[in-house]
Amino acid sequence: MDIVACIKRVPDTSETDDIKIDASGKDIEKSNLAFKLNDWDEYVLETAAQLKEKLGGSFTAISVGPKVWEEVLRRALAMGADKAIRVDEDVVSLDPGCVARILSKVIEGLRYDLILFGAQSEDFGSGQLGAMVAEMLGVPHATLVVSLETEGKVIHVCRELEAGALEAYSIELPALLTIQTGINRPRYISLGGIKRAMKAELKVISLDNLGLSLNGLTQELKLERLEFPHRGKEAVIISGLPRESAEKLAHILYSSGIF
Amino acid sequence: MDSVYQALADIVGNEHVSNRPEELYIYSFDLGTTEPHRPDYAVSPRTTEEIQEIVRLANRERIPVVALGGGLSLAGLAVPFKGGILMDLKRMDSILEVNERARYVVVECGVSQGQLTSYLERHYPYLTHSEPGAPPTATIVGNLAIHGQGDLAQPYGFNSDMVNGLEVVLPTGEVCRFGSCSIGNSWFTQHPLPDVGIFLGWLGTTGIITKASLRLFPCKKIRGTGQFVVEDERLVPEVMYKLSHTQMVEDIVAYSQAIPPFASGLQHFTINMAADSEKELEFKQEIVFDDTLGEYIQRGEGGFLGFTRGLQRPQVSKTSDWRKGGGFEYVGSIMPVEKYPECYRRGREISERHDIPYTVLGRCIGAAHAMMFSWTYAFNRADPETIRQAKEALHETDDLALELGGTVWKPGLYGQKLVMERLDPNTLNLMKKIKQLLDPNGIMNPGNWEVG
Amino acid sequence: MTLADFKYSDVIHRCFRCGYCKFPINWMDVNNCPAYARFRIETYSCGGRLWLTRAWLSDEIDWTEHLAEILYSCTACKNCEVKCPLRFNADILNMIVAAKSEMVERGKIPAAVKEFLENIQRHGNPYGTSRAKRAEWIEGTGIEQYHGQDLLYYVGCVGSYDTRAQQSARVLGKVMQKAGVSFGVLGNDESCDGNEVSKLGEETLFEMLAEDNIAQFKELGVQRIVTLSPHSYNAMKNDYPTYGGEFDVSHYTQLLLRLVRDSKLDISRGFKAKVTYHDPCFLGRWNAEYEAPRAILHAIPGVELMEMERNRDGSLCCGGGGGNFYIDLLGGSESSPARRRVREADETGANILAVACPTCLTMLEDAVKAEELEDRLAVRDIAEITAEACGIE
Repeated sequence: MDIVACIKRVPDTSETDDIKIDASGKDIEKSNLAFKLNDWDEYVLETAAQLKEKLGGSFTAISVGPKVWEEVLRRALAMGADKAIRVDEDVVSLDPGCVARILSKVIEGLRYDLILFGAQSEDFGSGQLGAMVAEMLGVPHATLVVSLETEGKVIHVCRELEAGALEAYSIELPALLTIQTGINRPRYISLGGIKRAMKAELKVISLDNLGLSLNGLTQELKLERLEFPHRGKEAVIISGLPRESAEKLAHILYSSGIF
Repeated sequence: MDSVYQALADIVGNEHVSNRPEELYIYSFDLGTTEPHRPDYAVSPRTTEEIQEIVRLANRERIPVVALGGGLSLAGLAVPFKGGILMDLKRMDSILEVNERARYVVVECGVSQGQLTSYLERHYPYLTHSEPGAPPTATIVGNLAIHGQGDLAQPYGFNSDMVNGLEVVLPTGEVCRFGSCSIGNSWFTQHPLPDVGIFLGWLGTTGIITKASLRLFPCKKIRGTGQFVVEDERLVPEVMYKLSHTQMVEDIVAYSQAIPPFASGLQHFTINMAADSEKELEFKQEIVFDDTLGEYIQRGEGGFLGFTRGLQRPQVSKTSDWRKGGGFEYVGSIMPVEKYPECYRRGREISERHDIPYTVLGRCIGAAHAMMFSWTYAFNRADPETIRQAKEALHETDDLALELGGTVWKPGLYGQKLVMERLDPNTLNLMKKIKQLLDPNGIMNPGNWEVG
Repeated sequence: MTLADFKYSDVIHRCFRCGYCKFPINWMDVNNCPAYARFRIETYSCGGRLWLTRAWLSDEIDWTEHLAEILYSCTACKNCEVKCPLRFNADILNMIVAAKSEMVERGKIPAAVKEFLENIQRHGNPYGTSRAKRAEWIEGTGIEQYHGQDLLYYVGCVGSYDTRAQQSARVLGKVMQKAGVSFGVLGNDESCDGNEVSKLGEETLFEMLAEDNIAQFKELGVQRIVTLSPHSYNAMKNDYPTYGGEFDVSHYTQLLLRLVRDSKLDISRGFKAKVTYHDPCFLGRWNAEYEAPRAILHAIPGVELMEMERNRDGSLCCGGGGGNFYIDLLGGSESSPARRRVREADETGANILAVACPTCLTMLEDAVKAEELEDRLAVRDIAEITAEACGIE
């Protein structure tokens, strides 16, 4: 099976009191943060690695980002990827639509049965990339996949809905999946593994190579500003029988402008 | 959900039951050459009541139960040949009572030899027990159940002769007590009440001993070992006979081994003595080494190698590393003392034929009424050929023990068959009846003493 | 890798499972292997673990997360090596670590171990707390950054980030200040010493940590180091020389003893208490230092030193080694080694349980709470006891 996995490098924001908005107002201060592979993408890589171990074939990892992003591609190579491709472009300034266009162009030029994305990223969390790329490439897709079984040219997947409910699909390959956390247990990658991966093939291409240019990519979303949510200190305790308190709550939510 | 697993968890708690292969693995093995067999469950009870419930469950479900103490029988006596529940008894490790005046101790079935030794040294330095040569993790009760012998064997006999009472869980789950404890009194005597003959030597097939009262003996201030050596193995029986006549020694062991090479072919004696004063020690040493053994020394037939104070615990586990192999197994037999020379010669021949450095040992029991004679065969766990050789040697030796007029002490399956073939048919029949009476569902350590 | 490629393939089968590895100094019980004491299932003892490991390496039994947990439940306390009567005993821990390395290379380790190692890779400490917070414990102490002073005071991850251990880190600093010692710390520039990483089998990560630390120390001109933790002491004294790091390393109890003997510290204020001392594994069994901490306690007026039956090389590990102060495979029960240890301390009649390691400090203090002994047993680091005896607040 030929697998393509798209992965992302994100800041480690587990310590929330480290996060500050930067001078531009459109990004967070990153100089004091450590960086890592996007959490969802760990599960993507483990899924790809397991499929390759089981079925053979190829496994290619792709990222769109500046040189420092190579560290996540090296992790992919340490996990069993045969090759890695980096498109040299700083993706933070681009909206998901543009990134999708770039990735589709790269993937078009490759042989693939299965394309994997994480369900979302830890930083902007738009959750759109996988679905957009699937549309652009004209392949069927399923999002939030929590289980996956192969049967020849068909894959059987379950999607996570709410309250523990699952939705099952059978999809003919080639297809695209966005992977939800918990689908497997990502293996540990030792430093020794990463060092060995330094010798593996990592190709760098430019937008030019893809026949694209920054000007040619029209942004449909414009990031205005980033701000912290307002931290209020009010607590309202709603009392009464369930029917009454539900009505009160609905009224509060409606009139607060949330809907 | 495995209902048996759940039932076991309800009895002992989740933490003390397992059905996970990575935890059951180790319980499949005896440390000798016996083939491993995986139990279905491993359980560690803490009380007699828990054991009762487990046994009742096993009867209901017809699942075998195998009791494990220290696991050092080296004859496969705690290998779950038919799967089932492996009961690790080591959590029942309380020393319940020491009665100084009546010189006895009451222990639970998981108390180890070393634990009792340390406890007595610390709290009752004038009392000691007959400590066998096994590693100190071996259990007191396990040793009793197989009629073991320790370093007080010469004056006081088998360890099973030192039992003042037992508490046993029967294969059908009832608890019985034997000895004075069974009439509600202290645990100071077994005789003259109905005896415990059906739980010692029965290899765990008639019940699980949960408590035992063991006689303790005077521990004198000075204890030590004298070393004596002869070249002619034919002298060994008479030396043992004469030494036991003096009534001055605590333990007489004759041994011979190929390693170290300079010792090969010689018969060494370790002779334990104890005294409360220098005067007493000197007197005993005179009687033993001058008066009794002096004649051999004078004739040039024997040599005195010195007396070392303090009892050194033999580290038998070191034998396991002789072939850098982590393993050994031995045939222990109970033999007439006069058979020592033949046991040595024939045993040495078997060892050499199987390419194993020979190791033999004879411990005097009682007033030379018998000796425990053992032939040890080391093997390399990573080399199956050495294991095969050891197994062959062991079987040949089981045959030898019976041929020479003795019996196998704690027989594995092979030895048990040999003994059963020769047993008085009425005795065999009685054994069968007893087993059927006590264990109608055949759940207790099955595979052992299978009288058909 | 098959069993044949395993570095110790000619040794691992030599364990007879005689059980000596479970004992303390005498044979009073079989609870001196911390993992075996916790679970009392044979496979958790040293011998059981070796047999299981051999079975896994020979493909006789499949890897499961639980099998990995059994392997990682070893705290590297060295009790087994000291007690084993056979000649390969010096290789026992090497075998366990080599087996862990194999699991690390295959990426198949318990989730908590993965977290531990990834946090160190990313943040230089196992907790995953930002490097920018490593120096927070220094605030208000006046302890200086290292810039060529006599001694580098190396604190380590537990002392830098754990709130209770931070107290002992501060107090030790104050004691050294009072004695006029010329020392400095690395603050936010300090990175993990790697001792636990090495015992967890992540060799290349340990190499990287050691090499980076050595390069940093050399650049700063460090020659003499005093460590808060015996874990750091062990790594820097015994392992760093292999990577070109030859420094004069002491554990702080050795330094404090010298200061007391040279009268640089006035301990006449004393410390009136019944004290029992817990030997840390990496100072005791690993580095044979049993006497310096005791000598300090003997020297302090008012201290009545009472030994637990399990002392020196028979000491019971607190259960925090092998990364277990974080990975926590041995907690959650009254059979946990830390809880057994504090019960033992309580039995001596002591009201202070003295420790010389920040890991032991946090493990045993938590255990005192779990055992509900707070009203009669307090855990104190030797630095804290010394400080009180010097009149430092």
